[in-house]
Amino acid sequence: MTDFEPRILGIACNWCTYTGADLAGTTRLKYPQNVRVVRVMCSSRINPSFIIRAFQLGADGVLVGGCHPGDCHYGTGNLYARRRLAATKKLLEFAGMEPERFRVEWISASEGKKFAEVVEEFTGQIKALGPQTKFRMERIKTAEAAAK
Amino acid sequence: MKKFAIEYLSGVIASLQQKGKVFAPVKEKDGFYFREIADPGDATLDFYNTVMSPKHLFFPQTEDMIKYRINKEGADSAPVPINSGPQILFGVRPPDVRSFELMDLLFEEGGIIDPYWVDKRKNTIVIGYAFDSVDPLDFYNTFDIHAADPRGSDIFLVRKDRTVLARAFTGKGEALLDGLAGLENASAADEKAFEDAVKKGPGLKTRKLDLNGVAKKLEAIFDAPYWQKASMACLNCGVCTFVCPTCSCFDICDETLFRDGRRCRTWDSCMFTNFTLEASGHNPRTRAFQRFRQRINHKFSYYVSKFGVTSCVGCGRCSRYCPVNIDIFSVVEKAKEV
Amino acid sequence: MTDMKEIEKRLREEAKKLLESGRVSVVLAYGKGCDERHPMPFAAMKPEEADEIVFNEYCTPNLARYLTKYPAGTKMAVAVKGCDSRAVVVLLQEGKVNREDIVILGIPAAGMKEQKTGKDVDASLTCGLANPVLYDVLLGQEIKGAAAESPYGIISKLDAMSGDERWEFWKKELARCIRCYACRKACPMCYCDPCFIDQTKPQWGDKTPTFDGNLMYHLTRFYHLAGRCVDCGECTRACPVDIPLNLFHKYMARECEEMFGQKAGMDPSQKPAMVDFKVEDSDTWLE
Ligand code: FES
Repeated sequence: MTDFEPRILGIACNWCTYTGADLAGTTRLKYPQNVRVVRVMCSSRINPSFIIRAFQLGADGVLVGGCHPGDCHYGTGNLYARRRLAATKKLLEFAGMEPERFRVEWISASEGKKFAEVVEEFTGQIKALGPQTKFRMERIKTAEAAAK
Repeated sequence: MKKFAIEYLSGVIASLQQKGKVFAPVKEKDGFYFREIADPGDATLDFYNTVMSPKHLFFPQTEDMIKYRINKEGADSAPVPINSGPQILFGVRPPDVRSFELMDLLFEEGGIIDPYWVDKRKNTIVIGYAFDSVDPLDFYNTFDIHAADPRGSDIFLVRKDRTVLARAFTGKGEALLDGLAGLENASAADEKAFEDAVKKGPGLKTRKLDLNGVAKKLEAIFDAPYWQKASMACLNCGVCTFVCPTCSCFDICDETLFRDGRRCRTWDSCMFTNFTLEASGHNPRTRAFQRFRQRINHKFSYYVSKFGVTSCVGCGRCSRYCPVNIDIFSVVEKAKEV
Repeated sequence: MTDMKEIEKRLREEAKKLLESGRVSVVLAYGKGCDERHPMPFAAMKPEEADEIVFNEYCTPNLARYLTKYPAGTKMAVAVKGCDSRAVVVLLQEGKVNREDIVILGIPAAGMKEQKTGKDVDASLTCGLANPVLYDVLLGQEIKGAAAESPYGIISKLDAMSGDERWEFWKKELARCIRCYACRKACPMCYCDPCFIDQTKPQWGDKTPTFDGNLMYHLTRFYHLAGRCVDCGECTRACPVDIPLNLFHKYMARECEEMFGQKAGMDPSQKPAMVDFKVEDSDTWLE
């Protein structure tokens, strides 16, 4: 599995994590390019179905980033999000997915370095786990096999 | 006529597998389902009736019609070839066998020919199987079907203690039965036992409804408050329509994933709000009772005016699996008195 | 334990009283089905219909389901057993019904039976509550004594499995799903219109029942019921293909209870766990 490049969905809140990611870029930090970030206004905007659907559509991992609890731009958004994402994590675990494929991190706008580190670490973790084949749609699997 | 010991069932299934894909009842959890048999040991004849009707053998819940790939100019598409190959449907109860004939009217004989249905129907040998007990919710006697009714089956099975007697009723069935390895020839006594069992079929009584005038009556009470009352408990789930052997409504949808897609037809249910939702946003059947009325009327009135028969075989599935115990028999029975 | 016939009698009396006085316009109770074993949910709307109400050991359906089917503001009375009353509480918490619009007729229920099999309801599959948590009238004697079994005991066999084994377990169960949506329709908490799975913009899932699509639908539904599920088991009872959905719901309920420190539908003054937070909520949940 040395040539396995995981596809990871990143969902980042506009005010902290996304800005943090920007900072990582502007300070020219190097980190793996496996995470494709979708920007949302707040971590509480994240519908857990985004995460479930991402796995169904073939994501190998999902990384969610938000402001540190208490620092949410909207005051309390991430405090709600924390409960929701915690329940989502339990949900995936009980379904039998590897819980390591889903990660939540609080990363502030000034933590460009933390963003790079988290991505680095998470990508390594997913690489070690290998491709996510459990939930991936049959249709995608067939299409991938055909493409090979 | 042939026979085999019930212990030898897996052997029979295995030799049937030489002739085509075999679909037979398989136990899953508390229920039985017609499944394509991989391991002959999975098939069983110790069941009352399956949860899902066998209609999905001819009319699968999902069936691809076209596959396409979207490109810059539009899309490349190709129809999915229709070719099912020979299949054998094993252990179908008499009302379900009758349901195929009712569906033939719609998919084949009604003027519009559905190639998907026709192809599978033509390639399938139906092996019927007599009931030897009655569930209180069944009412197939209403439709002149009896417990050991071989009509419509290519081969019909009757259970005699630990022995299963098999007689062919069509040329197709005969050819299959003769060429099947491992069956014993039936004796004269077996022949007699088979005929007795078929003769005794009508003795097993289910509920029975007099359908005289029902179709007209339902038309007349279309606007009666009866429907609100009858459908009060209805949750508008799709259980009744999905387990039903004669419900045939489907939806055609395009399922696209990135660039690749398929156009498939999928079972739909008149119980769902979306069933009648129009592109404009208008929905002619928004109320639960309207959808409920539609299902009853379609079976007991519209089908009659179109094809001259009621689109119901009295298998009792919708009553058995309804989460709130709505019993179609009682609904029609009470409608007569409105 | 109060006799079922006694409960039936009192149910009829109460219904008649409420309808006659005009206090309510609908009484949600059970009525006659095609036989003893198949009673049907029934809404009495006239005093004389009160006599059509029945109650026996097969009256398992959760009538709280019907509360949200009537226009807001309808005055209703509803007959509830233990977990059904919790469903009413959740509906109250979520503002789907107003306390002053409903009269809760509590039924202390024991010895209920399974309609499909005629056997006693398996105690390990229930929420373990015999008495309603909230009622205006209690039709019968309160049942004393604690539940014999923890409502969560049954999930320990799934807890003990490895992730892969659990995946295989759910795969096998959910592959059978035919998407009849009886689970969501029978669920007292599933009142969304339209349900996410019926939406076309955005489209959350395919209509066709493939395993992954079924899982997508069910996981989202499990999630939507996290911290709200009252463990009445209606989804499982309604399922024609016997998928043990309640095991997953029980698990989510247990986890939410552990994390958020509250059980769904026990106290109408509480906010449901998922629309609430505490500043001191733990980050360790996410690890
Ligand atoms: S704005 Fe960052 S989590 Fe709410």
